[in-house]
Amino acid sequence: MAQALVDIDSMEQEIDPIEERPLLVVGEPGLHGVTEAVARPIEWKPPLGWYIALGISLCMLGVFGISVTWLLLNGVGIWGNNIPVAWGWPIVNFVFWVGIGHAGTLISAVLFLFRQQWRTSINRAAEAMTIFAVMCALVFPAIHTGRPWLDYWMMPMPNEMGIYPQFRSPLMWDVFAVSIYFTISLIFWYLGLIPDLATMRDRAKQKFRRLLYGTLALGWRGSGRHWLHYERAYLLLAGLATPLVLSVHSVVSFDFAISTLPGWHTTIFPPYFVAGAIFSGMAMVITLMVICRVAFKLKHIITMLHFDRMAKLILFTGSVVGFAYSIEFFIAWYSGNPYEQFAFINRAFGSYAWAYWIMFSCNLLSPQVFWFKRARISIPILFAVSIVVNIGMWFERFVIVVSSLHADFLPSSWGYFSPTLWDISTLIGSFGLFFTLFCLFVRYFPMVAMAELKGVLPEARVHVDVTAVPPKLVSEEKAPAKTEDSGKEVYGLLAEFDDPEQLLRASHMVREANYTRWDAHSPFPVHGLERIMGLRKSRIPWLVLVMGLSGAAAGMLLQWWVSSIAYPLVIGGKPLFSWPAFVPIMFECGVLGGGLGALLGFLLFSRLPEHYHPLFNSKRFERMSDDKFFLSIEAQDPKFQREKTEQLLWRTGAAHVESITA
Amino acid sequence: MALAVAILLAISNARQFYFSYLVAYLFVLTLALGALIFVLIQFVTRAGWSVAVRRTAEHVMGTIPFLLLLSIPVLIGFEQLFSWSDANKVSHDPILQGKQPYLNPGFFYLRTAVFLISWAAIGYWFRKRSLAQDDQGGSRITRTLQSASAPAIAWFAVSLTFFSFDWIMSLDPHWYSTVFGVYIFGGSFMAGLALIILLVLVLQRGDLLTNMVNSEHLHDLGKLMFGFVVFWAYIAFSQFMLIWYTNIPEETIWYAHRLSHGWEFVSILLALGHFVIPFFVLISRTAKRNKQVLWGATVWLLLMHYIDLYWLVMPVHSEGFHPHLLDLLTLLGVGGLFSAVLIKLMIGPALVPTRDPRLAESLSFENM
Repeated sequence: MAQALVDIDSMEQEIDPIEERPLLVVGEPGLHGVTEAVARPIEWKPPLGWYIALGISLCMLGVFGISVTWLLLNGVGIWGNNIPVAWGWPIVNFVFWVGIGHAGTLISAVLFLFRQQWRTSINRAAEAMTIFAVMCALVFPAIHTGRPWLDYWMMPMPNEMGIYPQFRSPLMWDVFAVSIYFTISLIFWYLGLIPDLATMRDRAKQKFRRLLYGTLALGWRGSGRHWLHYERAYLLLAGLATPLVLSVHSVVSFDFAISTLPGWHTTIFPPYFVAGAIFSGMAMVITLMVICRVAFKLKHIITMLHFDRMAKLILFTGSVVGFAYSIEFFIAWYSGNPYEQFAFINRAFGSYAWAYWIMFSCNLLSPQVFWFKRARISIPILFAVSIVVNIGMWFERFVIVVSSLHADFLPSSWGYFSPTLWDISTLIGSFGLFFTLFCLFVRYFPMVAMAELKGVLPEARVHVDVTAVPPKLVSEEKAPAKTEDSGKEVYGLLAEFDDPEQLLRASHMVREANYTRWDAHSPFPVHGLERIMGLRKSRIPWLVLVMGLSGAAAGMLLQWWVSSIAYPLVIGGKPLFSWPAFVPIMFECGVLGGGLGALLGFLLFSRLPEHYHPLFNSKRFERMSDDKFFLSIEAQDPKFQREKTEQLLWRTGAAHVESITA
Repeated sequence: MALAVAILLAISNARQFYFSYLVAYLFVLTLALGALIFVLIQFVTRAGWSVAVRRTAEHVMGTIPFLLLLSIPVLIGFEQLFSWSDANKVSHDPILQGKQPYLNPGFFYLRTAVFLISWAAIGYWFRKRSLAQDDQGGSRITRTLQSASAPAIAWFAVSLTFFSFDWIMSLDPHWYSTVFGVYIFGGSFMAGLALIILLVLVLQRGDLLTNMVNSEHLHDLGKLMFGFVVFWAYIAFSQFMLIWYTNIPEETIWYAHRLSHGWEFVSILLALGHFVIPFFVLISRTAKRNKQVLWGATVWLLLMHYIDLYWLVMPVHSEGFHPHLLDLLTLLGVGGLFSAVLIKLMIGPALVPTRDPRLAESLSFENM
């Protein structure tokens, strides 16, 4: 194990070399070392700090419970919202939390498509963060009317007065965008978790744990077929999540930008909101990872290299956001529209100038330190800037919402917004919800994507063309004459190997010997295995395409039917069939269809969940999800002959061969 | 040749010439800028896969110093193109008076000069250093270019935004949209990628680069191009939808014009041809690895990029959609000169950065 006497952070390491790619994990822990390091927080007693953190989080969650209860008893009057500032803190908090979520999807989906392998150390935790942040976000629209029992009015069906929801309203787009974002993020996260849950299942000592993780792992055996469909589904989900994440904060920005209000109505909002969202979320990832890597001894897995990359992303997105502020200012002046001009001067120099300058300095100025490498690899600076950025991004939403509303077109209706104690307690409480969930996550789920991380370790690389080089023959005496026979019916033979190269070579030989009912098992997807096994290309893409297009068509059809046939009502002078207003929901429904297609295809084609499989009878097979590689040949195979097959397996260079009872 | 004929015709219809020329010029300039940002991004992200195709992009961006010369007709025809340069008109228009500190000839010329010269300098310098690496080898040059790429990108974002405000948005001096620069960026980057792919295919047809660039690289470039087809559509739709929905007259008029007088067909063609058709053609993995499909797609997208610019610029010139012979001639002329310079740049230096430390990584690269 690597975390020992030396301080990993101070170790001399080049994080930006040119001649070769840097190692993503320090100290060469090996496959088993990664499993140990990641499984440790789940299997051992957590550190005292975890109990303290959970305790504080639960107290804050209690505050949240009290605040929401008080809200339900008394109504929204307990908040500071007034006229003209009818949209107060609830929407500020909503946008803030949705934004936090975006970095998780950026890391898990966008960086995956860009083959940024460093993401493997942090993507699991970041995705969990996404899911919890979106949960916090969803709370606010649900409670902001003070009457959550009427939330079902947002479902696409008529209420008891025969009124349908209004699909030309961006608030309805939000309902679809955020809930579908949550669903797809959850599917994506869970799909990635399956191999790691199998690891936890195979390591579990207690029966209950074994049952729990076993159920969640759906019978995963790391087989070549499993990995084939898994990788395809994962890639497709990443491809779907990437436009989805852009669309979600774009839709959130539409809430503001489709209005006529100066300071809200500006065309740069969609990309600028997305950049801001990733910016704030990345800061939250840094905050959490700085703590987790120390608390759970993961310093060698989440290294300075990761922080360097994240800091660069913060610098990039922060600069985009800052540039967007400037463009807004410039165009407000350039437009020649006095209302626009007033709104921006009022923002910077009016009664909310303090909030504006907090936002400006936190978001635009503070990340500029990351131009310097020394700042990008200094934990104190990273931690400080990440907190400052989160504060700044909360204030950004505050500035946008409140400063634009409080002084609108009519000076006679101008007002000022001050939060009440209940506003503050609800915001603090939502952090309680977030941190409680996160504490539970790090305790009960592997917070680093082990299987993916193993796939990018040096141990996973195969250097030779196994089909060209003949195997080293194993001497006959190493092979015992015959495996023990328990007398029960035999399922087949299982051979164990030490590295992916041997597995590939053995697979090649088994295939050459014309076996058909066999499979390879590995802790991570071995590159080139599907070719050697001769597996057909996964058909998941077709399913995703068909379901995606059907989803989009269904979304459009629903909106057309509701708005033009079932409940024809002219709103804002728009035609009954306002197709531009229906595109967002059409898109979201398409992504939902595609995402469900990917999940369904994965389960269908890899024949999961499977509650029992003979291979689980083998004690050795438990290391399939850790650091060993296996090849199984079924007795059903027409070529299967107990002794000849066994000899073949020994000849492939197996470290061990055993017979599996059915 | 074509340019010569165009200039002859220009005498009869100067205004038409300047507008046609502007579109043609913007077309080649945005291609070169697309290649420029492509190269900068490869350095800032320390990309390995793209090294084998980077040299092609470097040649394209190497044309920018020459494009400085080609900008002269636009600067001469400046008063015909930009109505805000008419002092008489401005004196009767309070809004344009308000914009005068920004929209005035002196400042416009200054900004244009700064933007174009800075791009030319960045393009020239990056190409020169990369060529120098062919002789010197080592990682020092890569390191220098990597450090320079981040500030270059920051400057590129600022300059392209204001350039597109100046050269395209201000043709209609009353209209404004904050996302306009991003829109131009999306289209330019997509078209730049299309040109890079096309050049690789052309070289391979001439039996060059065949052992260096394989379907893995084309696939990756194709993915990026596909991504920016979608990105362009995302920005274009967001801009349109927000303006359509809010329905403020001074903003809507820009789209209202482009959805009438015959321009509505161009708008529909753009929606289909710039997004829907390439989206479905390029979505499959097989298509992005198929040279025939890529030939068709890249030529088509380059055409669409031209139409996109035409659609942005021309409604200012003529109320209805009236293609003119000069459109074709200027495109052929400017495009011809651009190609000639490009070919000249490509002759001589190695077709790939032979001693780039990451070349081996690029050659052995495989998609998932």
